[in-house]
Amino acid sequence: MVALARKTLFREWRRFLPAVLTVCFAGLLLIVQAALVLGIFGSAAIYVTASSGDLWVGYPGTQSVNLGRPIYRDVEMLLRMNPAVTRVEPFLWVDADWHATGVGGVAVSVVGIDPSVKGMVFDHMLSPTLRQDLQEPGSIVVGKADLGQLGVQAGDHAWINGHRVHIVAVIPGLRALGGVNVISSLDTAHNLDPHAGFVTYYVAKLADYAQAPVVAENLNGNPAFGPYQVWTAPAFALRSQLFWMFDTGAGIAVVFLAVIVVLVGAVIASQTLTAVVISLAAEYATLNALGVGMPSLRWVVMEQATWIGGLGLIGGGLLSAVLLVVAHGQNVPVAMTPQVGLICGGLVLALALISGLLAMRGLLRADPASLLR
Amino acid sequence: MFAPSLSGLAASVASDKVVPSLVAEGISKSFVSGIVRTQILERFSFSILPQELTLISGPSGCGKSTLLSILSGLQPADGGRVLALGQDLGQLKSRNLEHFRLRYTGFVFQGFNLFSALTACEQVKLPLAYMGIKGAEANRRVMAVLEEVGMSQHAHLRPTALSGGEKQRVAIARALVKTPKLLFADEPTSALDASSGQVVIDLLHRIARDHGTTVLCVSHDPRLIQHADRVLVMEDGAINREWRSGGHPAARAMVGADTLK
Ligand SMILES: Nc1ncnc2c1ncn2[C@@H]1O[C@H](COP(=O)(O)OP(=O)(O)OP(=O)(O)O)[C@@H](O)[C@H]1O
Ligand SMILES: [Mg+2]
Repeated sequence: MVALARKTLFREWRRFLPAVLTVCFAGLLLIVQAALVLGIFGSAAIYVTASSGDLWVGYPGTQSVNLGRPIYRDVEMLLRMNPAVTRVEPFLWVDADWHATGVGGVAVSVVGIDPSVKGMVFDHMLSPTLRQDLQEPGSIVVGKADLGQLGVQAGDHAWINGHRVHIVAVIPGLRALGGVNVISSLDTAHNLDPHAGFVTYYVAKLADYAQAPVVAENLNGNPAFGPYQVWTAPAFALRSQLFWMFDTGAGIAVVFLAVIVVLVGAVIASQTLTAVVISLAAEYATLNALGVGMPSLRWVVMEQATWIGGLGLIGGGLLSAVLLVVAHGQNVPVAMTPQVGLICGGLVLALALISGLLAMRGLLRADPASLLR
Repeated sequence: MFAPSLSGLAASVASDKVVPSLVAEGISKSFVSGIVRTQILERFSFSILPQELTLISGPSGCGKSTLLSILSGLQPADGGRVLALGQDLGQLKSRNLEHFRLRYTGFVFQGFNLFSALTACEQVKLPLAYMGIKGAEANRRVMAVLEEVGMSQHAHLRPTALSGGEKQRVAIARALVKTPKLLFADEPTSALDASSGQVVIDLLHRIARDHGTTVLCVSHDPRLIQHADRVLVMEDGAINREWRSGGHPAARAMVGADTLK
């Protein structure tokens, strides 16, 4: 079998290059857009995703982590009574007002966590020594990306709700949606605003995390402990991310933009491919005269479209990877998951195949009767 | 689908009764451009024999190429019948017509229409894959036809590295590798210099003789006219002169017979 499609493509790559580049850039756009959205909206659930708890218990119907309301401390009893639960710790959310030298009135979210070395919340981000430092009353940790807004450096002092706090450390990766995050111990957070209650969430660890959905279901709906609702950690994270995505309209915008990228990319790539098909019209017509059917010729075009899609995808993928690594290094919120990566890849291939279908029009010129004049 | 009487054909070539392999029965063709309707062919009838090189000649624009494309099933006639190898081409749907061409016909065009990305060897091998001939058998056939057209030394060259005459020989090999019963050529030598043209003429002649192929050629080329077994001169949509030069015994016996219906 002579690989006509591939040989033409590689031999005359210059003519196919615009199509490959189109696919490449369309892929880059799709992937970077998805990575930014995942990065930005993924940070809506950073409290959940940077923690090792398996269950999150909060006020019923809470749409997003930052929208929590106080729950009764009795819920802790409910959790501890369940044999599947191995550890329970509270999480306190306090909305507060930040002042520092030269900076005033910044709205911050103080996240009060269990600072013990075994603590689950933010255990992906805080080293044991840092946790120890947080046990000192009035000590806080802030994110590197927020330093400018807060007007402080590590070691500085500032005031939250009029209480003096000490920045014991600055950590990377603590960027969240909807404002600036400050991490403190539960006690420190409670002292900053005694009206915020003691507990916004309980975070629980299970002996076997695979049991989380079952345990969550069993725990739900016990009116004796006041209003509460139990979610598995992934479910609560997704809930927060989706809330932000659709509350801000970004979800629809992303879908809209993806459709535009695919359609525009397909049209541009098909122009190049059609031009190549038309330039080979006499050769294709000769094959048709010799009895090679039109479906086989269309297949040649589709094969080329697939190659263009594949090469563009590799190029776009590599380019995106480099760009995302650089962006990540610059503290730009980017993230990628295998599922979303696959969806982007699928869209890029769909783009290429659509361009192939459009380019088949070029074969109308391959009329063998026109060779005889 | 279609059932050309090939075995009957082969047997009859050996005997004195030669069965025509290509018959036109009262074919007409006209083209409409705007409100003007031009009749190119009007109730045109003739038949062509296997194993010889038949040449159609005539002034420019008289409808030679149109006739060739109708006889080869590349476009339909407005009226009349074309019987190719006993098969009425008008009865075949386009898919079956493609299949008929794949199985039985070869083409050589004035422009060589070779894929610039493929080597001579690959150009020739290309149609074979679509006929379901692959692997060693395909390679054997390709090398045999390239040898036959004298291009085996150049099997690995792409069209940019070939002369016009060499390209046309590759194009002929591409048509020949299918072992067609019918070979159509439209002005195969007009883009070539004298010696390359002569090589192509000799090749076409040899193909008719050695393979028993029906070779139908359209040309103004006087050298081709000299070498053809039979020459038909067309004018105003009809054949107004015809002669034979030599030809094989069976064909000679046909002279004077009703080949011109
Ligand atoms: N598809 C078409 N539409 C309209 N007119 C056509 C078409 N094909 C051919 N013709 C006309 O039919 C006439 C015969 O054309 P044809 O190509 O058969 O001539 P020819 O004998 O091969 O001429 P030449 O020797 O110059 O190649 C010409 O006048 C041409 O303009
Ligand atoms: Mg012509």
